[in-house]
Amino acid sequence: MLAATCMLAGIFVYVFVINKSHPDYAAARADYALNAGEIFEAYRSDKAAASSLYDGKIVELTGQLTAIESADNEAYLCFVLDEGLFGPEGVRLHLLKSENNKVSTLQQGEWVRIKGYVTGYNETDVLLEHGSLVQ
Amino acid sequence: MRTHQFVLTMVLFLALGGEAFSQKFATKTGTIRFYSEAPAENIEAINKQVNSALDTQSGDFVFKVLMKGFQFEKALMQEHFNENYVESHKYPNASFVGKINNLSEVDFSKNGTYEATVSGKLTIKGVSKDVTEKGTFEVKDGTIGGKSIFYVKLADYGVEIPKTVMKNIAETIEITVDVSMISLNK
Repeated sequence: MLAATCMLAGIFVYVFVINKSHPDYAAARADYALNAGEIFEAYRSDKAAASSLYDGKIVELTGQLTAIESADNEAYLCFVLDEGLFGPEGVRLHLLKSENNKVSTLQQGEWVRIKGYVTGYNETDVLLEHGSLVQ
Repeated sequence: MRTHQFVLTMVLFLALGGEAFSQKFATKTGTIRFYSEAPAENIEAINKQVNSALDTQSGDFVFKVLMKGFQFEKALMQEHFNENYVESHKYPNASFVGKINNLSEVDFSKNGTYEATVSGKLTIKGVSKDVTEKGTFEVKDGTIGGKSIFYVKLADYGVEIPKTVMKNIAETIEITVDVSMISLNK
């Protein structure tokens, strides 16, 4: 009985702790919903406060899509909100691979609602990973 | 403070020689991969939102990466990486600020692949170290690709690996930087 319990506990730890899967970011509920300009200004005006609020969180953003970039079979949605020394600055979303097929339906200038995991602000852009389009 | 220093460097980097603006190249979609090979397991993480810039006239080369943007195969390892090892809430980014040593041997106006050595300060977890690494720059039809593989001893940057997982994480990890930069003048 003890051996069976230990074995079950071991399997549980292996499956649900050591090998637990990443969240389903596209299906996950957003921690915050705001627009792209708001989150960009939040980081620019008080990075520490914005970081403690949004870093590592899933946010849903509404914004006007200003550029769609691709590199190395990856797609990025860009919301340009200012012009800096490195060129355009704003919010950049790295799309999930499963969302790449939706890129062809998007148009520059279109208003879209997206969701992603905030990795932080790098002094030019607010960066999001695991991005998806919210229908 | 270090972030401010980095920004200041970037500003100076771009402000100097403003009349030659076309000689600045940059990307926001560079890649940094790190790889740990240990007896118990091999671990790989990739970040595909790396900022990088190059001044082809002065040879200044910089990159910056947000630590939370590294993606691991295992969610638990990603959690440990951010929360315990690099403490990304305290030290959100890593950066390199340096210069090409053999600039005269690299012709950025001509297509080709050029070997280069780059020296500068690599900052990880708030610890800055002087490093000199080899790499290549590939000039191709107006874009400049930069690639380098180098090795980092985790202890040098204050990354402590608990004894319980020493068989899972290498003391020295392999870092691969791969950036494809376009002219900022476009």
